[in-house]
Amino acid sequence: MRSLCVMLLLSCPVLGQFSLFTCASISKAYVVGAKLPASGLFFKSTAGMWEHLGFNHPFITALDYDQRGIFYLAAGNGLIRAWDGGRTWKILTGSDVTELRDVAIDRNAPGTMYFAHTAGIRVTRDNGVSWSDADSGIRRKYTEAVRVDRTRAGRLVAGAQEGLYFSPDGGRSWQRAGGSGFQVMHIEQSPHDPCFWLAVTQQGGIFASRDCGRSFENLGNTGVGRNLYDISFDPTRAGRIAVAGWGPGVMVSDDSGKTWVARNAGLPRPQVWSVAFDPANSGRLYCGVHEEALYVSGDAGVSWRKDGLEGSIVHRMTFVPERPAR
Amino acid sequence: MIRAALCALWMAPMLSAQAPPFAERSRQIIDLYAHRPGGYESIAAKLYRRQDAAWCSQRLQELLASDPTGDMFWMFPVTAVAYLDQGQLTPAARSALRRAWKTYMPYRGDTENHWVMYYASLYLMAQLWRDEPGSEWYTGKSSAENLREAGDWIESWVKLTTRRGQGEYDSPHYMAMFLIPVSYLAAWAKDPSMKKRAAMMLDYLIADYAAENLDGIYVGAHSRVYERQLVEKWANVSSDFGWLWFGVGRPLEPVSVYALYYLLASGYEPPEVLRLIATDRSQPYTHYERKRTRNRWRYYDERHGPVYKTTYVRREYAVGSDQGGMLQPIQQHSWDVTWWAPDLRGIHNTLFMMHPYSSIRELQTYFTFGPDGAVDEVVKSKPTYDSPDKILGGSPYEKIFQDQDTVIALYDIPPGARFPHINGFFSKDLADVLEDASGWIFARGGQALIACRPLQPYLWRPIAGGGRRLFSPHLKNGAIVQVAAASEYSNMEAFRRAILALPLETHLDPEPSIRFHSLRGRALEFTWGHTPKVDGQALDYAAWPLFGGPYLEAAVDSEQLVMKHGGLRRTLDFRILSIRDEGTR
Repeated sequence: MRSLCVMLLLSCPVLGQFSLFTCASISKAYVVGAKLPASGLFFKSTAGMWEHLGFNHPFITALDYDQRGIFYLAAGNGLIRAWDGGRTWKILTGSDVTELRDVAIDRNAPGTMYFAHTAGIRVTRDNGVSWSDADSGIRRKYTEAVRVDRTRAGRLVAGAQEGLYFSPDGGRSWQRAGGSGFQVMHIEQSPHDPCFWLAVTQQGGIFASRDCGRSFENLGNTGVGRNLYDISFDPTRAGRIAVAGWGPGVMVSDDSGKTWVARNAGLPRPQVWSVAFDPANSGRLYCGVHEEALYVSGDAGVSWRKDGLEGSIVHRMTFVPERPAR
Repeated sequence: MIRAALCALWMAPMLSAQAPPFAERSRQIIDLYAHRPGGYESIAAKLYRRQDAAWCSQRLQELLASDPTGDMFWMFPVTAVAYLDQGQLTPAARSALRRAWKTYMPYRGDTENHWVMYYASLYLMAQLWRDEPGSEWYTGKSSAENLREAGDWIESWVKLTTRRGQGEYDSPHYMAMFLIPVSYLAAWAKDPSMKKRAAMMLDYLIADYAAENLDGIYVGAHSRVYERQLVEKWANVSSDFGWLWFGVGRPLEPVSVYALYYLLASGYEPPEVLRLIATDRSQPYTHYERKRTRNRWRYYDERHGPVYKTTYVRREYAVGSDQGGMLQPIQQHSWDVTWWAPDLRGIHNTLFMMHPYSSIRELQTYFTFGPDGAVDEVVKSKPTYDSPDKILGGSPYEKIFQDQDTVIALYDIPPGARFPHINGFFSKDLADVLEDASGWIFARGGQALIACRPLQPYLWRPIAGGGRRLFSPHLKNGAIVQVAAASEYSNMEAFRRAILALPLETHLDPEPSIRFHSLRGRALEFTWGHTPKVDGQALDYAAWPLFGGPYLEAAVDSEQLVMKHGGLRRTLDFRILSIRDEGTR
C-alpha cells in the first residue's frame, strides 16, 4: 500500500499530508517471556485503520525519522532502524546499551542521531555504523529524553534523572539547564519559536526555556506533585500546547503555558501517557489513555472519542509528513 | 547415648539414601520427556534418543506455525532442537525453524538470566547458520555480526562474574537459566576458547551451589526466589539439580524441563571434589561470598553495589544472610534459618524476619519504570509485592549481621513509611514453640534448636497455608536468632537455660543496638549505622572474598576459583582458561 509513501516534505512541514505513527504496547499481564499481543510500531492508514508494522515488540518507547523516510526506534533491545515503511528492521546497537528511552535525529547534521538510555546518551555521526558516549558532564546518567534543536546542528537538550542539561557541541559537553532534582520525562521544542522549549517532569511540573534551551524555569504549580509524560505544541496554532500526565490527564494551554485547563471530559480516566496535535487538522488532538485506548478530539480536547489501539499504552505519537508515491 | 542413637536413627534416611548413579539419574530424566508427547522439550528429548523423528518434525512445524512466543524462553528450547537434529528432522521442519529466526524477534529482556539465555542461543544459532546475511536474521545483522556480539557479551559476563560475582546470584529457581545456556556452550560451541570457558563456568556455577546446599536445598541469601518456594524450600528447581548432580534430596515431581535441557547438551557430571563439597556435612562450616547488586540505573553512583553473604552450614541446619538493604528488586531474600528433615515435601523448613517494603524508588532503581502504574504492573506477576503482609523482599530499613549460627537483624523504619512493622515467618512445622517470659521465643525445626529474641512486642497473625506471622508494629526494632543442633543439648530446656545465660544488652534509642555473647563464645556487637564487631574487631568488608571458607576460595577480581576438599584441589583460572586438578581423596 505505502511502498512507500513516506516521502518527506521537511522544508514545509505544516502543509501537505501526515501519517500518524505510534509506539504502543498492549501490556496487560505481560512479562518478559509471556505471550505478547500485537505491540510495537503502529501506523494509522488514511482509511483510519491501525496497522501493526514490523516485528511484535514489547518495548518501543520513541521514534524519529530521517529525510529518506527511515524510522529509528528507541527500543528495549537497542536502537532499531526500520525502513520499507517500517516493515524491515535492523538493530543498530549491540550489548553495550539496553532499554532505550528516546531518539532524536539531527536534521542539520547528516548521519547524526542521539539516543537516551539507562546509562546516558549515545551518538552516531556515521548513520549508525559506530556509536560513542555523549554524556560527559551529566552526573546521574539515566536519561529519559534527548532533543536536537532543529535550527542548529549539535545543539541538544537532555532530560536526565537529576534535571535538564544543555549541550552546544553535539553532546561533547553538557551544562545544567534547570529542573534540578527532578527526573525529566519529556522535552519538546516549539515549532513556532525555536528558542521556546518545554520539559515535563516527575513531580516537578512543567519547565520552560525562552533562551533556546540553555536554561529552564518552572512554569508555576501546574503538574507539581504529579507526573507528566508528554508535551505537544499545536503546529497550526501558536501558543496552544497540550501536556499529558497521570492524574492531570490532558491539560491544554492557549497562551503558551501561562494558564492551563484540564481537558478530560469523555476520557475514561485521567491517566494519560501521550498527546499529539495533528499538524494537518487544526484542533485535532490525540491522547493515549493508560491501558484503555487511543482517543481523538476534534476540538482540542473539549470532547473525545475512542480511536483504536484498545488496551494499549501509547508511549509516543509522531506525525510524519508524506506524499503519495508516484 | 540414647539421644545419639535416636538422632542417628532419625538421620538414617539421609545417610543411607542411595540414589542411582549419575548416568541412571540422567537417563530417568530424559526418558520422562522422551516418552510423552509435548512441546519443544519432548521434541528435544526424542531427538536426543533418536526416536520418533517423523513426529518431531510434524510437532515442530505445528509449534512454529502458531506464532512463537517466550523470547529467550523460546530461544533456548529451539536451539536445543536445532543442535539435536543431527539429520533427523525433515527439510520442511528445518526450514520452519530457520525461518522463525528471521520472522520472530525474541526480546532480549532486562535481567542477567535473560541475557545469558539470549546471547548463548543467538551465538549457537549464528554458529550453526554461518555466512548468512542480515536479511535472514531478526536482528538484521549477519551471522558473523550476531556471533561476534553474542560471543563478546558472554565473555564479558564470565569476566564480570569471576571478578565481582553474579548480580542475579544464588537463585534456587533462576540458577537453571544460567546452567542451561552454559551447558549448551560447553557442548556445542565450536570455538575452543568459548567451549573451554563454558565448561569452566559449569564448574563455577555448580560450586556456587554445592557449598550452599543442604541435602539439595539451596540455603543462604538469595537474589530471587518465589514466595511459595521461599518457605517450602524443597519445591525449588535447585532440588532437581541437587539430585541430578549429587544424588541428594528429592527431585521435583515431575523433574523440571530445566534439568532436561541441561542434560541434553553437555550432560556434565560434576567432578569428585564438587560432589564431596556438596555432600560432606560432617563438620559445621562458615562459607562467605561476595556478589553484586542488580544493575542500578538510578539513585546510585555505582552500577553495582557489593553483596556480602555469610552462610553457616551443618548437617542439621543452615543459617544464611546478606548485609541487608535494598540489594535486589522484589524477590530478594536476605536471611533465614533452614533446617533439614528426611522428607521436605510440603514442609516449611525455615524461619526468618523482614521488613515489608515496596516503593517506586526501588522499581526505578532497577528498572525503567515511570513513576505511575509501576507497582500495579509488578503486582500482576508478583501479587504480594505491595502487601504489608508479605514475607519476601529486601528493605533499606533492614541491616543484618551474622556470625556462625547467630544472626542479628536490626530495623530502623522512618516515620511515615507505608508499612511500619516487621514480619516474622514462623512455620507450621516448628515444634516445641515456647514464648518465654524473658522475651525469647524457643522452637525446634527438625533437629535445629532455635532461639529468637524480638526487640519489641509483637502479635501473631495467621498465614494462609499454615504457620504464623510475627507482626511487630514498631519503627525501631530488631531480632537475635541463635541456633544450635539438638545433639548439642540434652533437651529443649537445657538449650533454653543456655540461651538465657548468655549476656545480652539491647537498646532501641537513638538507634537499635545489640550486644550479645553467642553460644559459640563470641562477643557480638551491632548498632544500626555502624560496622558490626566480633570480639571487639570490626568486620572488614573490604577484605570480603568472592568465595571464602573451607571449600571454595576466590579473591575479588581474581578470575580464579579454588575448589578443595580433603586432599583434592581443583583450580579454575579464567585468565588463561585452565583447569588444574591436584591431590587425591
